Amino acid sequence: MNKHVTAWLGAYHDGELQGGRLRQVEAHLAECAACRAELEGLRALTELVREIPAAAEVTPPERFVAQVGLRLPRRPEQPAWRRALELGWRLTPFGLLGAWAFVQAVFVMAEVVMFALRLGLGGDAAAALLPTPQTGSGLSELLSRPVAGLNDVGRVVVRLMNHGGPLGWGIILNLAALAVIGVLYWSWLATWWVRRQRQER
Amino acid sequence: MNSRSTPSAETESELIAAAQQGDRQAFGELVRRHRAGVINVVYRMCGDAHVAEDAAQEAFIRAWQHLPRYRPRSPFRNWVYRIATNAAVDVLRREKETVDIDTLPLVASNGGPEAAMEGHERNERVQQAVLALPPASRAVLVLREYEALSYREIAETLDIPIGTVMSRLNYARNRLRESLAPYLEVL
Repeated sequence: MNKHVTAWLGAYHDGELQGGRLRQVEAHLAECAACRAELEGLRALTELVREIPAAAEVTPPERFVAQVGLRLPRRPEQPAWRRALELGWRLTPFGLLGAWAFVQAVFVMAEVVMFALRLGLGGDAAAALLPTPQTGSGLSELLSRPVAGLNDVGRVVVRLMNHGGPLGWGIILNLAALAVIGVLYWSWLATWWVRRQRQER
Repeated sequence: MNSRSTPSAETESELIAAAQQGDRQAFGELVRRHRAGVINVVYRMCGDAHVAEDAAQEAFIRAWQHLPRYRPRSPFRNWVYRIATNAAVDVLRREKETVDIDTLPLVASNGGPEAAMEGHERNERVQQAVLALPPASRAVLVLREYEALSYREIAETLDIPIGTVMSRLNYARNRLRESLAPYLEVL
């Protein structure tokens, strides 16, 4: 005879067993009088416990509902700043999506401009922007140059795109921005999940 | 107020959504629907019909306050039962003396006064044995035996693992079988 299934009899009695465990318990019960007696004991107990009558009705249903209604407090209104904060929180993923789209657009635009300059479409400007062997290639050298106007800013950006080893600073900056956006998104998602778990308690 | 013609015709999720927006009439309908179950759970936990109604009202007021945070991932009934169980435990904490046998109604019986007395006495003993269980085990037993919740629903309601549901139920039943052995032999 198999080992007794006493530990599973309660779950069997409650109809909570399935699959292999259910078959195991049924097979054991077919050949074990002790476990069958145990199961009968559980059934008798359930019958006995359920004999206790339900609570006597003290208050008629409609009066009970009315009493609860009278005792319901006003729900406190959320302050405006809290509602704004909540709205901002809900819109965060869209903001991050926008940031991601912006970074990608800048990256693609910069690549297109670089490609055009390399083809010589920029004329003299291209020569000034594109790196030459005489030009220093370090980032510090690029950033240390005085920036007088918008053209110089563009020049620094283009030079950055052109330097930075095999990947190029453009790709590195792009990847860094994506990493930051990714970390922010996953942090938001984790916080959202924790909040949801707490709310359901 | 929303323009609803017959509240009873609305689905529970519609009522919950309306109540979450502050519709007291919708919440009243939810109270009407779950009143008996909530009172029963609390009554089985504390053994006094008057105390059970007070605690049930308290449970519904707590439910109203927390309703904006309710998410319909688990049934509303289970959520309210959890609040009711906690309310019952609070009542038990406040009142050490929970057994009031005078409030227990007699069992309907066809066997005349003597049989009725026997039934009454037996029910008293069973009620006392249930009330003597630790509140954690009692809550599991009440939800299973009187509300017929599945183990998963009990686990959700009390926020405990299914394994704990099983162990608490086994413990409660073993204790009851010991204390009610004379009545079990008769059955």
